[in-house]
Amino acid sequence: MTALLSLNDIQGNIVKGYGRFGFPFARYIFYSVRDAAAGRNFVSSLIPLITTSVPWKTKESGGVVKPEAAINIAFTYQGLKNLGLPRESLQSFPDDFAMGMRGRRDILGDDGKSAPENWDPIWNKNTEQVAIFVGINGQTKNAIENAYALIQKKLYEAGEGVLQLAGHTGDGGVNNLPYQDASAVFENGTPTAKEHFGYTDGIGEPFFKGTGENPAYAMGSGKPTGHAPNTPFGWEALEPGEFILGHRDEARELPLAPSPHLLGHNGTFMVYRKLHQNVGSFKKYIQEEAKKHEDKDEEVIAAKFAGRWRSGAPLASFPTKAAADAFMTEVDDAKQKLRKARGTVEEVMAEARYITLLSKLVGFDYTDDLEGGRCPVGAHIRRANPRSALEFGVKGAFNTPGALSNRRRILRRGLPYGNAADKTDTGNHGIIFMVLAASISRQFEFVQQQWINYGNDFKLANEKDPIIGNHHVDKSGKGNGRMIFPARPKTGRSPHFCRHMPRFVETRGGEYFFIPSMTALQMIADGTVDPT
Amino acid sequence: MGNTAGKAYGLTLLCPIKADVGGYSYGDIIRDRLEGLMLNHNSPMAKVPNTYLCRLYVLDDVFYEGYPAKEEHLKSRYLVFCTNFYGSLETYLQEMWNKIEKDVRFLWEHCIAFDRVQNAKEFVAYIKKCQVKNTLFFNGSTDEPLAEQLKSLYLKQEFSRFVFNNHGKTAGELQRAFREFVAITQPDNLAGPSWTPGMIEESPHHNYENHLQTAR
Amino acid sequence: MSNIAGKSYAMNVITPIKWYMAWLNRLIFWAAQLPLFKSKLTGLITLSLIHYARWAIVRPAAFPRLDPSQPRETIKYHYMFFFSNFNGSWAQYVDSFHMAIPSGLNLFWERNVKYPGSVPLQPFHSYITYNQIWTNHYYNAYPLAASNDVKAAKTLKAALLDFIAKTQNATPEDFKKQYEALLNNTQSCISLMEPTPIVSLSAQAVQDRLSAAGRKGQLGEAA
Repeated sequence: MTALLSLNDIQGNIVKGYGRFGFPFARYIFYSVRDAAAGRNFVSSLIPLITTSVPWKTKESGGVVKPEAAINIAFTYQGLKNLGLPRESLQSFPDDFAMGMRGRRDILGDDGKSAPENWDPIWNKNTEQVAIFVGINGQTKNAIENAYALIQKKLYEAGEGVLQLAGHTGDGGVNNLPYQDASAVFENGTPTAKEHFGYTDGIGEPFFKGTGENPAYAMGSGKPTGHAPNTPFGWEALEPGEFILGHRDEARELPLAPSPHLLGHNGTFMVYRKLHQNVGSFKKYIQEEAKKHEDKDEEVIAAKFAGRWRSGAPLASFPTKAAADAFMTEVDDAKQKLRKARGTVEEVMAEARYITLLSKLVGFDYTDDLEGGRCPVGAHIRRANPRSALEFGVKGAFNTPGALSNRRRILRRGLPYGNAADKTDTGNHGIIFMVLAASISRQFEFVQQQWINYGNDFKLANEKDPIIGNHHVDKSGKGNGRMIFPARPKTGRSPHFCRHMPRFVETRGGEYFFIPSMTALQMIADGTVDPT
Repeated sequence: MGNTAGKAYGLTLLCPIKADVGGYSYGDIIRDRLEGLMLNHNSPMAKVPNTYLCRLYVLDDVFYEGYPAKEEHLKSRYLVFCTNFYGSLETYLQEMWNKIEKDVRFLWEHCIAFDRVQNAKEFVAYIKKCQVKNTLFFNGSTDEPLAEQLKSLYLKQEFSRFVFNNHGKTAGELQRAFREFVAITQPDNLAGPSWTPGMIEESPHHNYENHLQTAR
Repeated sequence: MSNIAGKSYAMNVITPIKWYMAWLNRLIFWAAQLPLFKSKLTGLITLSLIHYARWAIVRPAAFPRLDPSQPRETIKYHYMFFFSNFNGSWAQYVDSFHMAIPSGLNLFWERNVKYPGSVPLQPFHSYITYNQIWTNHYYNAYPLAASNDVKAAKTLKAALLDFIAKTQNATPEDFKKQYEALLNNTQSCISLMEPTPIVSLSAQAVQDRLSAAGRKGQLGEAA
């Protein structure tokens, strides 16, 4: 029996991916805390501005008015320490959070060009450590500026005890920006879900209990049940404790959480990671590789890398480009009709059509494609969420078909940043990758280390994710990333082999944060956290 | 049979250690010696033929689980040796004695009754007295001789390199390249090029590409 | 002290078991090997992470006594010794084991004193760690290979030798055709091995210290 989540206590960015709700712009600001009291006063002054998960008013339902900008706040371990959290509470946080992202570089594979020494200056300040994160998600650029002005005012009132940290890199080699801006990639004035390599991003999103969302969305997004994956019976919602502390998780207990109880309850952990994209190298690679591939089509190469066509359709359900493109046009059309629908009947029908189509976008599994003839075993989405593939077709081998995947799911909340027009490697562009999960090590770090930069669980030895893997260079300086596109089994046809892949994505900064509930936030601001 | 799974053998030993004398703890000495052993391909166990994986630890005592479990203690400490290997027990132990007698003495000399071990035959008898039977031995891998396993791993590595390197070649080029590959790697020759026991990284000579005569 | 040797992790556990439970446990272990009950091990086999593992239930009188001067053991419990060699660290993979084969774990450990059950995770994880003994010397003949690699290598070698024999006198065109068929049949075996990812920062720190202290030979590297 799962209780419905107290949405007014949970920060909004946990339950909502703002991008889907019409917030294509974001600004991320980081502060250090030099004086505990000043820091707490600053936090206190921001509390009225923080957006919770309470649903926004729609035509049918009540709720709060949708804000022009949503604001959320999070803290590093160092930040909590500087704000005066008692030692006992600090020690009750997991050591992945306490060490911070830089300390975990070996687990994450942040070496070579991704090493912390090469990160944006903000992460390399010896004297000022990042303590507080404030994220603004805005419907318009103006909304961002208005919210930012409000926050600046609070900062000014906090005095010298709190410092806004500069040192983000931007266009034209600038490297001392006071915040990191991010934004959806726009095409013809409309925000798209594309990122800089041209992929449609953010399609897979774990579905968990208690949010009040339409349970039909569990299809393809929850955990597999073993029934047909293209039907609702194939999927179940995940337990909320995988993403929110204080609630039952997939191991049938409450996840490890900081002490006292109210400090952790309804909170979660956030991974913030600035990932630079070598757009030029990527374009060049897929062009060159296409020439060596039988289809002679760079869209095929891109699709095999990701497991989805760049339009978003999954290879598992749409092995050919023509079918995939036709389908995506249908999906876009249904989405538009849903947005524009007026009147209950029209809305209900539009939603039904949209959900049916959506289901094809996510309602699939790999059990009839075990060898990877359609979606390569090492493709990005298959690595990030193997669904029931790790049963390797042995029905009933595990307690549940998704037993090895269900505890490794993550919520993604980031946006692309930078200049989409610049198609080179040196342009200022990439993704602000933000992951939310109850356990940084079990969910984010495990996937990053065991499934992205390694391949043993997929029987791929040391092969890495083609797109985000930390490919190294061989003696001659060439990239030594590799990938096999398996052929359909028993056809006698050769697989395709890609080699000399350079590193397409480089880490340029990041940190681990704790997102407290509204209750915990008040306690932190008041300095009343006491685990006695 | 609990001690075997196919041709793989799982030997489990509890070797009682001499009691502490005065300020002298034999158990601690053994543990120090174990900790100081060279690792990987320099481990003494790398010289014992057909050893897949093995480990040693000193068992000081059993653990008290807490009420309502009963508290109890062992009267002796034990050198625990757990090894997974291919083949017959006698052959394995004889080879162990023949190849690393010095290391065996170094690790076992403070075990009770080991001073009576003077040769391979007595070593085998001693070991059998220390052996405990496995209730279940699970083989999640293969039960081939080690040389076979190592050769297969070497071939998997080199053939994978070959496949990636020669993708897209014409039939004639491919066949020529493959014949050269076979000549270098000698797939059916266990005594030919292969991985060595305990190897933690490849050396240049393992990579077949470094042996190619033809210009690349 | 290290439980890690290349891609393999050495898990050692010792747990007490009441004498009247011990015989039942032995029966269960014996039955698990019978063809009729082989399915009990299917989950473990599918996990594919294990090289070799064993359980040994030792009754008090079976603790070796090699000399009259050695005191007789007076313990009452039987003790179940567990040894495993698996790929990945325990911290990382305990979640996988307990989610995938909880009833299998229970089958083998249920009768052990104060065993809390394999679900939920935290008590199970604590129980195992409490009863875990760290390895003082661990040797792995192929640190670069996971269990999957060893198995794939065996399959690939057999297929390769077969292919070589079949194509001894083939024309280039026929050769290529058969070569592609070979690749199609063995495509899941074609991947390159490298050293393990760093699964434990503390183990890595120990390795770095040994290297820095000039004890390179300790790690098996050429001095």
